[in-house]
Formats: sequence, structure tokens, C-alpha cells
Amino acid sequence: MIVQVLGLFARRLLVAIPILFVVSALVFVVLRVLPVDPAAMSMPPNATKAEIEMKRQEMGLDRPLPEQYAIWLDKTVKGDLGSSIHFRRAVSSLIAETLPATVELALLAMLIAAALGFAGGLLLFHLRGTWRGEAADLGSTVLMSAPDFLWGLLFILAFGVLWPLLPFTGRLASSFARPVHTGFLLLDTLIEGRPDMFLDVVKHMLLPATALGLAFSVPIMRVLRSSLYEIDHADYIRQARLRGVSEGRILLRHALKNAVLPTLTLMGVQFGFLFGGTLLIEVIYSYPGLGNLMVDAVRNADLPIIQAVALAYAAVVLIINMIVDGLYLVLNPRLRTV
Amino acid sequence: MTASMLEAKNLTVESRLADGCRLPVLSGISFALETGKVLGLVGESGAGKSMLGRTIAQLLPPGFSVSAGSLSFAGRDLVRMGAQARRQLLGREIAFIPQEPLGALNPVMTIGAQFGEHLSRLGIRAEKRRRDEAQVLLEAVHLPRAVQLLRQYPHELSGGMCQRVLIAMAFASRPKLVIADEPTTALDATIQARIIGLMGEMRDAYGAALVFITHDLRLAAKFCDEVMVLYAGRAVEKGETRDLLSAPLHPYTRCLQLAVPSLSAPDRDLFTLPGEMPGLARLAGLHGCRFARRCPNVGEICRNEEPKLSPVAPKREAACFRTEMTLDIKVPNQGIPAQPKLASPLLLVEALEKRYRSRRGLLARTELAAVDGVSFTVSENEFVGVVGESGSGKSTLAKLIIGLETPSSGRIELGGHDASDRSENARRRRLESAQMVFQDPQSALNPRRRVASIVTQVLEAAAPRLPASARQLRAEELLAEVGLSAELGARYPSQLSGGQKQRVNIARALCATPKLLIADEIVSGLDVSVQAQLIALLRRLRRELSFALLLISHDLAVVRKLCERVLVMWRGKIVEQGVTAEVFARPRHPYTRELIAAVPGE
Amino acid sequence: MRKRPMRKELSFLRSGRVTAGAILVGIVLICALFAPLLAPHDPQEQNLITTLTPPAWSTGGDPTYLLGTDSLGRDVLSRLLYGARVAMTVAVAASLGAMLIGATLAHLAGYFGGKVDWLIGRAVDVWMSFPPVVLSLVLMTGLGAGISSVILAIVLVDWTRFCRVLRAEVLVTRRQDYVAAARLVGFSHWRTLTREILPATMPLLITLFSIEMGIAVIVEAILSFVGMSVGANQSAWGQMIADARQTIYESGWNLVLPMLAIFVTVLGFNLLGDGLRRTLDPRLAQAREL
Repeated sequence: MIVQVLGLFARRLLVAIPILFVVSALVFVVLRVLPVDPAAMSMPPNATKAEIEMKRQEMGLDRPLPEQYAIWLDKTVKGDLGSSIHFRRAVSSLIAETLPATVELALLAMLIAAALGFAGGLLLFHLRGTWRGEAADLGSTVLMSAPDFLWGLLFILAFGVLWPLLPFTGRLASSFARPVHTGFLLLDTLIEGRPDMFLDVVKHMLLPATALGLAFSVPIMRVLRSSLYEIDHADYIRQARLRGVSEGRILLRHALKNAVLPTLTLMGVQFGFLFGGTLLIEVIYSYPGLGNLMVDAVRNADLPIIQAVALAYAAVVLIINMIVDGLYLVLNPRLRTV
Repeated sequence: MTASMLEAKNLTVESRLADGCRLPVLSGISFALETGKVLGLVGESGAGKSMLGRTIAQLLPPGFSVSAGSLSFAGRDLVRMGAQARRQLLGREIAFIPQEPLGALNPVMTIGAQFGEHLSRLGIRAEKRRRDEAQVLLEAVHLPRAVQLLRQYPHELSGGMCQRVLIAMAFASRPKLVIADEPTTALDATIQARIIGLMGEMRDAYGAALVFITHDLRLAAKFCDEVMVLYAGRAVEKGETRDLLSAPLHPYTRCLQLAVPSLSAPDRDLFTLPGEMPGLARLAGLHGCRFARRCPNVGEICRNEEPKLSPVAPKREAACFRTEMTLDIKVPNQGIPAQPKLASPLLLVEALEKRYRSRRGLLARTELAAVDGVSFTVSENEFVGVVGESGSGKSTLAKLIIGLETPSSGRIELGGHDASDRSENARRRRLESAQMVFQDPQSALNPRRRVASIVTQVLEAAAPRLPASARQLRAEELLAEVGLSAELGARYPSQLSGGQKQRVNIARALCATPKLLIADEIVSGLDVSVQAQLIALLRRLRRELSFALLLISHDLAVVRKLCERVLVMWRGKIVEQGVTAEVFARPRHPYTRELIAAVPGE
Repeated sequence: MRKRPMRKELSFLRSGRVTAGAILVGIVLICALFAPLLAPHDPQEQNLITTLTPPAWSTGGDPTYLLGTDSLGRDVLSRLLYGARVAMTVAVAASLGAMLIGATLAHLAGYFGGKVDWLIGRAVDVWMSFPPVVLSLVLMTGLGAGISSVILAIVLVDWTRFCRVLRAEVLVTRRQDYVAAARLVGFSHWRTLTREILPATMPLLITLFSIEMGIAVIVEAILSFVGMSVGANQSAWGQMIADARQTIYESGWNLVLPMLAIFVTVLGFNLLGDGLRRTLDPRLAQAREL
């Protein structure tokens, strides 16, 4: 099985790398039709035309597009993502700082989404056909209509402002010195052996992660519910009933194992959306991740950052999808036999 | 007298419709089944035969309930039994063998996990003992390499193997009662015969009482001690199998028998029962005998009074007022159709091959030849049958000829033109001379079109400016040709019965007046009486119109009934071909012999 | 696990969704269409004396400003009404565009299969590897701010939603024998696609369209929140939220009201889509979430 999963990863990498190329080319082209001049943006307002032109040449903006792309690609492959026009720092170090924060937030949110989604899906299925089930179903449509950032704002208003329970800015209270190991604060605080700091990080992540998780739990619960519903009519469930298997065992051992498969596929797709959702949530919670970096970069037309951040987002999505596919392979024996 | 294991007394199951109206799905069923005996419940679809199994398991569809009578298992009342007590019986004392073996095993659990779960419920706790026990049971159903099998998943097994596993599981608890609901319908004929044999063995070895639910009279004859024939929710006849089938007392049984094509009996016409069994919705307003409208022996009394199932002879019961006339029902002689004059060849197939590539792993590729060097001809007006089991390549052959698939190599010539030409012109030419009737009318008829629009679809493509009235006229003509009334033209396919759908399916193909009709399993999956009607229809159409037929079928008897010549396909190759009567009487290839031997009741 | 069948009286909950959704959407649409007539004030008119007034019903409220004013003293109700214009314009135009591109490609891919399918499938893969919000931000950077850029960005991002889901549906339909039969009676590819396949995929198409309108409203709000949508001289819900965030401690209402507007509009589209899915085709149970 491990061999098969590794084989799948190898095949997926073969697909993912060209996709990343296309993604980067796409971003490159889109950003080069920009109406603002990044060279002018990076200069003080009193710079002369000649000075700006020199800057353009320095940044390579005067060369033809394919050549610019080739230069950029060559540097990127070597690990040089250029330097930020606005922050005047290496883009790679900016990304290294922010990426773990965002991934950490997204994974915690996905965990919350999965937990809520599975619980909700089982509940919806359990209540099916009753008036409570109908009401719960309607409730899920209502929940679905509030996107993640609305939850985020609502939580700030409720648990930050009206009833101040939890912090809603940043990753860590300023009274702590931020430990630097992996960049994943949940891990780093544990490495430092500081449970108080760990708790503070969790507190900071709780509102944004729950806002994201809540919004993305609804599709999960709905798909789980409908696949359970469909599977409930399957021949093998009927046959298990005819063998006298108890209903609880049928649900948990027979039905859920099958219903997880379409739910997992959905979670793979949803992760992309959720990961994108972190962007606005980070802005709302002033959470120092990729999202804030991206929005700042967009505001300042900071091309090297936009370019690199977009690529980072795509890379994470591709990696997560690969892991989801691997899980799917492990859980679905029909794909495993050659 | 031994105590009966399963006993039904006046069992009535009703369905409550949305408007509160109650309709009996099963009415007044009574029987007593003893240990070691097999009771056959025989009937066409919708007769209510599956309701019994569902009543035992309390898995009736929503809105269905037992409204009268009793059903008891070893003296215990099954109707009023609580869910918990019933669950204790299921899988222990009462076992079920399902209709679709491939679907009845959980796809994400190994055979071992499912078997183990069942055995642990039966009280075998130790893992090792469970494995040993499972192995013994699997060997008892003639499954070799049991150890390996337990580690496999259902999709790695064939349908026949899955059914063996399910039979082994069913008998694991040494149940007192086994319900087998059409256990072989989804399987190929040769496998079917072996599964029936196996069930007989298991019954002998474990001594359970068995209820065998089937639509196939011939299968029932082979396997059951006693048979009860159901019609529209009522038992119309009951008796010991041999007596009942050698001399049926109810006209329905007799008609069914005469409607089944036979492989060995002298060639005779099939009895065609008019109309169809009344569906649930139509039962409400029905007076008198439910079979009266289709009965050849119908009398005045039959229309006013409902006959009760009552003893007619020793150990024989029938629900008919005029049983003495039953054996007088004969097939009206329609006259043996004149052998058509065989003219010039219409279809010429030469060294036809279709290979599919399948990817295995990263690099390895394998090729599978679905059709492997096939050559034959079909003359004008000739009816040719193609027989073989699933996977023999017969359906691929049909698709190649009609152009739905592209051959890998070889030649197809249709009406003198090269049919493997892929140009649009060649396609139109081919479709003018050949048409296809699809296997599954459910999928072949667009549910969003009305019948009249479906049958005249050819005109829509060929003459888009044709006035609606002309198209309507042609639709009525076609419907009449296939024996449907003109009002049906305004309906949607979902409002038709299975037989009617298949007629619409045929009518559409006839609209282009093709010289060659390719029909893929068009009578399989239909009830016997409907099947006989369609065979009669094809024979009539042959007299009235002139076309050749390439009939693809797994049912040898149907081919024998319709076709002058037969091709036997096995693993993509034609292993034998010749005049139908000769091939079936003196098969030369061992595979043909095996196919013939597998036909029940021969 | 088995439950008694649902009582008949409750079936209105199902068909009621379409009605409820249509009413909500209708209200927002009317607000959008007749904003100039309905709005009590000019949405841009600042009144620095009466800033952050609470809604009329709470203490300190001013009846001339029914829903209060924002930090610049602009009338919240009027701004909401004009914001509906932006939201609805984007919703309709962007969804139509995304549907046209997505549905066309889905039908081509699903029907013809082979290389066409491969190419379109890979394009979808590339698009799906971007989180939609990130891709739309990148596109907005390239296109520049403005409502037409927002529409174009949504079209260019969300065509994949239609394409992915519809392609699967086309494949299912394609496998039906009646499609092969249509070819056999001489239908051209075009006729087969439009007469046999499109009617079958239509219910899903309509459902997706309704849901996409809700998504477009959300995306517009996001983009105007980060200041990439309409200019400062127009009002959009996202922009209102961004403004209100600065004064969150002084006035919760300013934040809640535009949020409510977004929620109600999206709910309307979702209810409509959900109801349509149930009434048009019960088989599409899963399609919605994918």
C-alpha cells in the first residue's frame, strides 16, 4: 500500500510541477499588463523620469515579456524570489515568515471544519425524514449563506468587543518573546516548553480558525449526509441488515466507511477555498500570514511579492490535494488493485 | 406431520398511497413450509413475490404494512415481533441470499472482515477460530484458496464467486430458514446452473427450509419441491412442482409455460398473452378474477366473482372457476413462417478486431481484444443470432457494426459500402441501411421527450422542416406497427411499462426503414409474457416489412425462436456458427455444449 | 437508522424554499433597481455633525437616519440601497459570464472526451490550484480596480465551478443510450448536444447559476472590502464593512447592517438554488457542494 501511495505521489508530482509552471506564467502575464508602473511605485515621488527609467532597467522591466519570465523562472528555481519593492527585503524570507502562520491557521480551521462537518453530517442523517431533520437541513442552508469573513467579523464583535473573551489581533500577545524554530507557533511554543505561550497562541487562533472552520463545515456535513443517505439504500447495507447487524454498527462500520470517500474528495476541493479564505480572515484579525502580505503587496503593486505569494498558495493547495488523493487511495480498495 | 418452519395464513400486505387509498400488494397468501423443503415463489415483476422476504425482515418499503393474516417462523409470530427480537433471528436462524451478489458485499471491507463480523456475531470470538471456520465454510461452497480470498475485496471477485461467499455466510449459522430472492438472475447461465446446484447441496447438508423467489418457471422446476404461482399479489396456483408444471390447473401458469421458448422441444409458436399484469394503481377498480382480462378461458363468472385459492386435486390448489379447461389452452397456430428467400449478402464482416488498451501502473500497458478476428455475413432478410455470455464481446460487435465504436482493424461492408469509413457522408449512408435497438429502454429513451417525438427522431434530423402534422402521422403509423395505441404518443417514457418502452425503442429504429436491424438483448430483463409478445412482434414485422436482424442475446431459446442462423461468441472470437437448429442439436465446440447444458429445464 | 416517512404537512418546507428565496432575491433586486427612489439621502452626502448615529429605534437615534449614519455622517440605509445595485449588477453579469464559459467548456469536454477533455481538464486543474480569492486578487491587480474589473475577475475565476460540476453531469448523460441513439438516427453533434444533452443538464445549470450569484455577491464584498472594487464615490457593502471596522467599538450597527445585507442576499440565492435543485432534479443531491 505504501508503495502504491508513493507511486501516486510520484505521478501527482509529474502533474503538479507543470501546473506550477503554468500557474507562474499565468500570474506573470497578468501582472505585466498592470496599469501602474512598479518602478515608479518603488521610487520616491520626486524622482525624475530618467531615474525611473534607470530603475525600470534595473528591474528588467524594459525587456520583452518572455525574457523577463525566463529570468524570473531561472532565479526562482535557484531559490531567489527577488526582493520586495516596498519592504526592501528578500521575498523568500518574507514568505518563510508568513507561510507557516497561514498553513497553521488553515490546518486548524480544516480540522474544525472536519470535526463539525462529520458531527453535523451524522446528525443530519440521523434526523432525516423528521421535522427536526427538515429544520436542521434548512438551518444548514442558512449557515451556508454566511461566508467565512462574516463569521470572522461577527466573532470579533461578539467575543472581542461586546463580550471580550478572546484576543482578535495577531498570533501572540506582545508580552511574549516569539520563539523561532519552525515558524509554526503551535510547534515552536511546545519546543520551548512553554504551555502558557502555547495556550496564548491557541487563544489567538481560536476565533479566526473557528470562523473559517464553521463556514467550511457546512458543505462537508451536507455531502456526508447525502452520501450516507444514498448508501443507506445500497444493497450491501440491506444485506447487512438481513444478517442482523445492529444499526449502530451498520452506520459506523459499513456506511460511514463508504460515505467518507465522496466527503474526502469534497474536502480536497474545499481546502483550496478555505486556504483562500484565510486571506481575508488574516486581514480582519491582523494575523501576520500570507494573506496580509498579499493584500499589502497588492496595495503597493509589489510585483515580486504578489508573484511569489500566489505561487506559494498554489503549491500548498497542490500538496494538500496530493495528500488527500493519497488518503483516498488508502481508504478506497477499489483504486488499490492493479 | 412435522411442524412447519415458515407458515403464512391469509397474509395480506397493503400499500398506502399518498391519497390515503390502500391497495393490497399481497393478498390472502397461505402456505406451510417444512424443514428441508424448497418452496418456489414464481411470478412476473410486480406480482408481489419479493414482499414475502421483506415482510420477514420487516424491510417493507415506506407506506407498506401487513394488514391482515399471520406469518410465523417456527411457531413465532413474525408480524408482531419487535425489532430487537427480529434482529436476533436474522443472520442466525433466518438467512438471506441476495439478488445482486456484487452489490451485496461492502466494497471497502475485505471478504474476511465481513465474514469475521458475521461469525463474531454468531459467537465465535477468537480471531483464529473465525478464520478457520470461514475457511471451512468457503471450501464447502467450492471456493478454492480460501485464505487468499479472505484478504480480497469484493471487486476483485466475479459475481459467481461473490454469490458463493454470500451463500457460505448464509449457511454459516446453520439457519432453519433461507430466503433466496432471484439469487441467479444477475449471473451468466453457466454460473447460474452451478449456483443452483450449490444451493441444493447446502440445503441437503444443512437441512434448512428454503424459499426460492424467481420469475423463471424452468428454474423453479429444477430446484423446488413445491411451487406457488403469484399473479398481481394473489396466489393463483400451488402444488408440488412436478404435478403443477406437468399439468397446470390455472390458465396463467399454462400460458406462462407456453410463452417460454424452449431449446429442445419441437419448434412451436409461443403463446402470447394479451396485455400486461395490472399494476398496483390499477388493482383498485378491478372486479372479479385479476387474470380475467387476459385469460383465454374467461367466462361470465370470472368477471364478477373473485376465485379463492382452493383444493382442486390432492395437494393441488388453484384459484380458478374453470380449471378443467386449462389444459385445453393451446398455442393458436400462426403458421410456420415461410423460410425467407436469402438474397445477396447485406452485411459483410471480415477479420474484425477491437482492442482496448488499459493502463496498469505507471508504464505497463496491456491490450485486451474485445472482438478478436471475427468474420461473418448476414444476407438480406436473414435473422442471425449472436449468443455468448457477458464479456464475450457480442455487444462490442454490435457497436462496431453500427459505428458507435471504431474497429482496430478488419472490414465491415454494409449494403456494398465500406462501413468503417469515418466520414460524415459514410455515416449517413450507414444509418440509412442499419439501425440499432438498445438493450435498456430505460436508458435508450430520452425521458424528456414524448413518445411521438422519440419514434420520429429520424425525421427531425433528416427533414427538420417537416410540418408537425406529417410527423404526428408518421408517429401514429409507427406506433400502430409495433402494436401501441396512438394515444401513447403524447406520453413520456416514464409513463410506459417495460414492454411498451421496448416497443417504442423498436419503433424508433424502424422509422428509417432500415435494411438491417441490430438488436442488443432486447428481450432480456423483460417478463416472460412480455418477452413472448416482443418475439411475436418481431416475427410479424418480418412478414410485413423486409429487414435483416442481428439479434444479440444470452438466451439461446430466444435465438432459436427467431433466428435461422447463429454465431456463438466466446472471448471475442466466433467459436461456432451455422444453422440454428443444427448448432443447438449437434454443438461441436465445447463452449456451445456448456451453454446448452446450462439452460434450465432442458 | 430507519425513520418514519416525513409527514405530508411538512412538504411545504421543500417547495417553500423556492418561494422564500425568490422573495428575498426579489426584495434585494427591487432595492437595487429603485435605489434612487427609495433612498432617503444621497449616499455620499457627508454630515460631520451627525456621525455614527445609531438606528432610529435605539436611544440617541435620529428618525431622519432610519438605520443611522457612518463615521462620515453618511446615511447607512441609502448606502445599503446603493450597495445593492453594485452587488446585483456584479451577481447577474458575473454569473452569466462564468456560466457561459464554464457550461460551454463543460459540454465540449464531457461530450467529445479525448483530447478536448484532457485540455479543458488540465486548465481546470491549473485554475483550481489557486484559491479563488487569491486568483481574483491577482487578476484585480492586473485589471485595475472598478466594477467591470470585478465582474471580469469573477468570470475568469468562477467558470471552473460550472465546468467541473457540469462536466460530470454531461458525462453521466453522455453514457445514456438515448444519446447514442440520437447519433444513430442521424443527429449532428450540435443537435445532439443541444437537443439531447443540454435539456438533461439544464436543471443543474440553473441551480448552479443561482448559487453562483450568491458567490459573486460574496466575492464582490471581499474585493470592495480590500478596496479593489468600486471607487470611493460609490457605495458597496464590503466597503461599508471595511469602514465600520475602524469604528467597531463605537458602533456595532454600522458593521452588522451591511453584513446582514450580504447574508440575506446570499441566503436568498442559496434558498432559491437549493429549492430548484430539489424540485428540478432530486438526483443532484451532491452537486451543490462540489
